[in-house]
Amino acid sequence: MNLGLRGQERLRLAVIYSLCAVVLLWALAPIYWVLVSSISTRQELYARPYKIWFPSQPTLESYQTIFTQGAKFRSGGFSPTAHLMGTGLRNSAIISVASAGIVTLMATGAGYAFARMDFKGKNLIFLLIMLMIPLPIWVSLIALFFLMSQLELIDTLLGLILIFVTLLLPLSVWLMTTFVRDIPSEIQDAARVDGADRWRLVYSIVLPLARPGMVAVFLVAMLTTWNNFLIPLIFTRTDDSQPLTIVLTLFIGQYEVAWEDMSAAAVVTMLPPFLIALFFQRYLVRGLTMGAVK
Amino acid sequence: MKNPPRRLFSSDSIYLAVVLLPIILMIALFIYYPAVDTFGQSLTNRNLRIRRPPKPVGLANYVKLVEDDEFWEVTGRSFTVVIITLPLEMIVAFGIAMLLNQRFPGRGVVRTLTFLPWMLPGVVNGFLWGWLLNGEYGALNGFLYQFGFIQEYQYWLREPAHLIFWVTVVQTWTRYAFPTIILLAGLQSIPDDLYDAAKVDGASGLSRARFITIPLLLPSFGIALVVEFIAAFQIFDVIWTLTAGGSVGGSMNPFTKTLMLYNYELVFRDLRVGLGAALSYIILLMSLAVGLIFVLRVYNQGVQEA
Repeated sequence: MNLGLRGQERLRLAVIYSLCAVVLLWALAPIYWVLVSSISTRQELYARPYKIWFPSQPTLESYQTIFTQGAKFRSGGFSPTAHLMGTGLRNSAIISVASAGIVTLMATGAGYAFARMDFKGKNLIFLLIMLMIPLPIWVSLIALFFLMSQLELIDTLLGLILIFVTLLLPLSVWLMTTFVRDIPSEIQDAARVDGADRWRLVYSIVLPLARPGMVAVFLVAMLTTWNNFLIPLIFTRTDDSQPLTIVLTLFIGQYEVAWEDMSAAAVVTMLPPFLIALFFQRYLVRGLTMGAVK
Repeated sequence: MKNPPRRLFSSDSIYLAVVLLPIILMIALFIYYPAVDTFGQSLTNRNLRIRRPPKPVGLANYVKLVEDDEFWEVTGRSFTVVIITLPLEMIVAFGIAMLLNQRFPGRGVVRTLTFLPWMLPGVVNGFLWGWLLNGEYGALNGFLYQFGFIQEYQYWLREPAHLIFWVTVVQTWTRYAFPTIILLAGLQSIPDDLYDAAKVDGASGLSRARFITIPLLLPSFGIALVVEFIAAFQIFDVIWTLTAGGSVGGSMNPFTKTLMLYNYELVFRDLRVGLGAALSYIILLMSLAVGLIFVLRVYNQGVQEA
């Protein structure tokens, strides 16, 4: 068969795009279906055996229900969860933004120290921080639970933030160390000769140049905190501190909660990570692959 | 070294103290001290259900675990998850990486959308698939029925033997983006000249893959396998919402109980703290070898490449 150059290119693209369609179906179908479920009316969602892939009357009723009345039971009535979505949203937002902000500042200061300064015990301290990465979290978690109870930090936002900042430190410090190292040191050396002390140097020269790195660290930290489930599962008890990942499992645990309401709760829970992943993915990929990809 | 006392109070020392001390304190207090304390507790018979001061029992907890059938069952299940998930992930990731390595209009958009599942909360992913696979109203049933692949709706999550398989599928869906990114970067670092030279020498597409692509990708596969091993070995969130039963106080599905879920059950449901602490140290030993490879790599890159 003689297709000619243009024909060959067309055939190549046709093959590529059909493969892309398969990949995107695999990647997005579950997400698409939960979105559809959350805006479908009951009749259409429970239609069988033929499913309705596009709701004919999209509705935001489920979202309204879970925020105002609590999740609907399939047999009628509402679970007493009306306030949980609101408090969950608030808790998730506070925990993830605060943890990410604090860890970004701490990691930037330390990253500069590891990248540009010589001091006693540098390698040892760096190793102690990095050793946390492969340490299965359970080894610390059990005694940490009792420690946190003694400190009266169970079921508090402060307690969660302290734990998350600590857990985020290794990756964040590692990232900031490599980011600062990539900044040309000539500028800094010049400033140093001019007599600027470390604080001034970091604030006025390193910070502006390391900003993309800091954004990456912040976004990765925020996403990991928002998505985390195990830490709040152990360290929260009530709506004082329960984030959305916990609230969602409370709905799922109650087997009679209507699927459209659980879907709406799932969409709310995944919305911030979804949007960040859509619009800031470059930063995330850079941060989450730990520089394995440069 | 000429004047040590002055150096001690120079602004460098103050800078280091301010940026490093909080980090050292937090890690010591929240990670390393509890890790040591957990080990201490693993040598006692502490059990919060029984009102008695904990007594030291030596290695009895470890012995009890190793002699317990359930422990081996759960361990076997954890390794089953790893053994199925890793090849599944690598095949999916390699295929997608090869595709995304082609040049075509719209590649950036496809890439962004392809990596989305990795960035969503694990508990949401477990729920998404649980709903998708639902026997009565699930979308997979509807899809397969409409295209004539099945005659009636299937209860995909009813058969205990199938549950682990679905767990690995959902874990693969959650994680495949990472190995894809690593392999894609590996592919892009292979110079085109190599392929051109091989073409000139008359090498077929298959032998180019066999003698150029695969060997040069081995380091990338290595990184991906280590990281994915850790992720699959520590699987928790996905199982919690897919098959574990979900509710905080309720019973746990015994057919998908992996090591991490078992550890949670021992400590936070059964309140057998000593036994759970021992289990967490056995888990540490199991993952130590693989973890060390990882940390040495990170460490070498972080400090010594300066």
